[in-house]
Amino acid sequence: MKREMLTGNAAAAWGVRLAEVDYVPAFPITPQTEIIETLSGWISDGVMDTRFVTMDSEHSMITAAGAASATGVRVFTATSSQGLLYGFEMIYTVAGWRVPLVLINVSRGLSSPITLGPDHNDVLATRDTGFLQIHCENCQEVLDSVLMAYRMAEDERVLLPVIVNMDGFYLSFTREPVEIPDVEEVRRFLPAYNPSHAYFKAGHPMAQGVAVLGGEYYSYFKYQMHLASKNALDVYKKTCREFEKEFGRKYDTIEEYRLDDAEYVLIMIDSFSTMGKAAVDRAREQGIKAGLLRPRLLRPFPEEDIRKALNGKRSVAVIDQNISMGKGGILYSELAGCLYNEKNRPFLLSFIGGLGGKNISPEEFTFIFDQLVRGEEAEVETPHLLYTEQEWEGMQKLKDIAGKG
Amino acid sequence: MLKLRFHGRGGQGAKVASRTVGTAAFMEGCNVQDFPLYGAERRGAPISAFTRIARGQIMERGVIPDPDVIIVMDHTLLSDPQAAPLSGSNKGGVVFVNTPESPEQLKADYDIDALVITLDLTKIGLDMVGSSILSTLAGAVASRIIGIGEDSLKDAVEKELSGIIADRELLEKNIEAALYCFRSLEPVEMKTLQSEHGKSTVITMPFERARISSPAINAAASSILKQTGNWKVFRPFWDYDVCNKCMICVSRCPEGCISLNEEGFPSVDNEHCKGCLICVEECPKKAIKAVRGPVPDQVEVTGE
Repeated sequence: MKREMLTGNAAAAWGVRLAEVDYVPAFPITPQTEIIETLSGWISDGVMDTRFVTMDSEHSMITAAGAASATGVRVFTATSSQGLLYGFEMIYTVAGWRVPLVLINVSRGLSSPITLGPDHNDVLATRDTGFLQIHCENCQEVLDSVLMAYRMAEDERVLLPVIVNMDGFYLSFTREPVEIPDVEEVRRFLPAYNPSHAYFKAGHPMAQGVAVLGGEYYSYFKYQMHLASKNALDVYKKTCREFEKEFGRKYDTIEEYRLDDAEYVLIMIDSFSTMGKAAVDRAREQGIKAGLLRPRLLRPFPEEDIRKALNGKRSVAVIDQNISMGKGGILYSELAGCLYNEKNRPFLLSFIGGLGGKNISPEEFTFIFDQLVRGEEAEVETPHLLYTEQEWEGMQKLKDIAGKG
Repeated sequence: MLKLRFHGRGGQGAKVASRTVGTAAFMEGCNVQDFPLYGAERRGAPISAFTRIARGQIMERGVIPDPDVIIVMDHTLLSDPQAAPLSGSNKGGVVFVNTPESPEQLKADYDIDALVITLDLTKIGLDMVGSSILSTLAGAVASRIIGIGEDSLKDAVEKELSGIIADRELLEKNIEAALYCFRSLEPVEMKTLQSEHGKSTVITMPFERARISSPAINAAASSILKQTGNWKVFRPFWDYDVCNKCMICVSRCPEGCISLNEEGFPSVDNEHCKGCLICVEECPKKAIKAVRGPVPDQVEVTGE
């Protein structure tokens, strides 16, 4: 084990190197490119025994990743934002092939207008595809999650692909101290992949990814994917326990921050949660019983764990770093659905924040806690966009320059 | 926690500077977070980079609006309203500027409350490294200001550069120049500043018609107003006694900012020339020289 300053992208590359993947099809896109640059450098230097192929597009890249995985090898690929969308047809397709590849998505806001800062509309577009989703708060988690993703995906009860998500810039280009485990430790945790359902043997021909005509056949395959995804909950928990035993770092489906005695709760995912935790600390200093819940696993959705964690809380604010136009925050809807039948359910508020990487300032968190304490007396829209007067003034200036007066 | 913010131009090395001080502090056992912020990559565009250093956990992410130390690697950024390198500077904080000017001059010119320190990094870079890339030099002054040890700085420069340059001699020159900058300054007694909150309120965003709210620019020719050439290290200077008016420089200029004067000699728009010096490279008569120093107006140039 060694401890080094690594960006989220470098941590991702280390996870892939330690997982000893066989094949990496790649296509560059900001802010993901550093991952494949790092991997291609290692492969070219001979420190990784992996086949690396640059493809003509993300559509081909995801197809190649799925096809390779269907021959029974361990596959990694990575993309971001517009790239993920360009390959989107194949995201659904390869999930249906039941191939346990791992894809890192480096979150970045979607066009239009085109931008580079992070939000989660890209990754949440894959919510219903069959891919499992792990969301990371820091660079250590990125490395660890790649290893956990393979272990979970390759389990016989799951065999679905996984997206490991990190925020562009806030993690991808941010360096933090990261522990890099030894490869021998990783081999103990993540043994070689030898699937019985997907292989490439001349003596045993097989057709994969076939078509079915007839809803009753189609329904069977789709519902089997749903059941496999549900199985992944237990497999993930077991993976967490095994991971902790081997490496000493503890993960769960959700992270609870000062939640035990909390009455007012923030729900956030990915790297902005760090700022949420700091806001919780500040609110505690003001005497507000604040806490934060961070879902790490979004697919399968850890409903039971979330219900248990929020049982008896007074009010909860979901801060969505995404927007479904005409409805609101995606996670808010998922939370509302999860809590609807609960007798002791908290009052639920919805905020949209951090779109395109917009900062969430301490004042905005203060505003949220003020509303949470008011509970049913809160005076906010559903959803309420987190946006400050200062930012509005800046926007007015930009409009003036653009001749929008 | 100590918070540092670097301002530079794309290609000047602000990212590596923030990493150098980050790595040095990490080697001294601190928790560190560093990251650069740049838009669509373009040489010469204003970029910033950030380093947070703490004994305990770092519970912040993203840009640093209220830095303890600001390192300005390019003097011309001081008057750039978008880069706004002095924003959030604080009475108890430090502002370092790469410039030949005195701290007193800058304090007066830009109305700076913080402690101002200056050093001509560009000259040191050109003299000692042979380049105006200032990454390790800026990393060195930042390290000195916050009290990092010399050995940690040396190791950090070695570690950061060995990954990006293969030339051992160039790396040694960088270490030497970094140590020279380090020793030219005195450390500053840093006290962590109290952040000021509560400056802005959350609003409810109103609806605006698509004529306003679609992402289209209705103003024409606004790029003329932006002085994209205000930051160059070298600028071209023509010797009209040697120039034969062949106009190759005019056709090779990627910015289209060389035109002909009344006598048919090439003349440069210094507000938009980025100092790439392709004209110097391309001139068959070697009539164009690269010169340093402030940009004189055209009359003075021809009179030189």
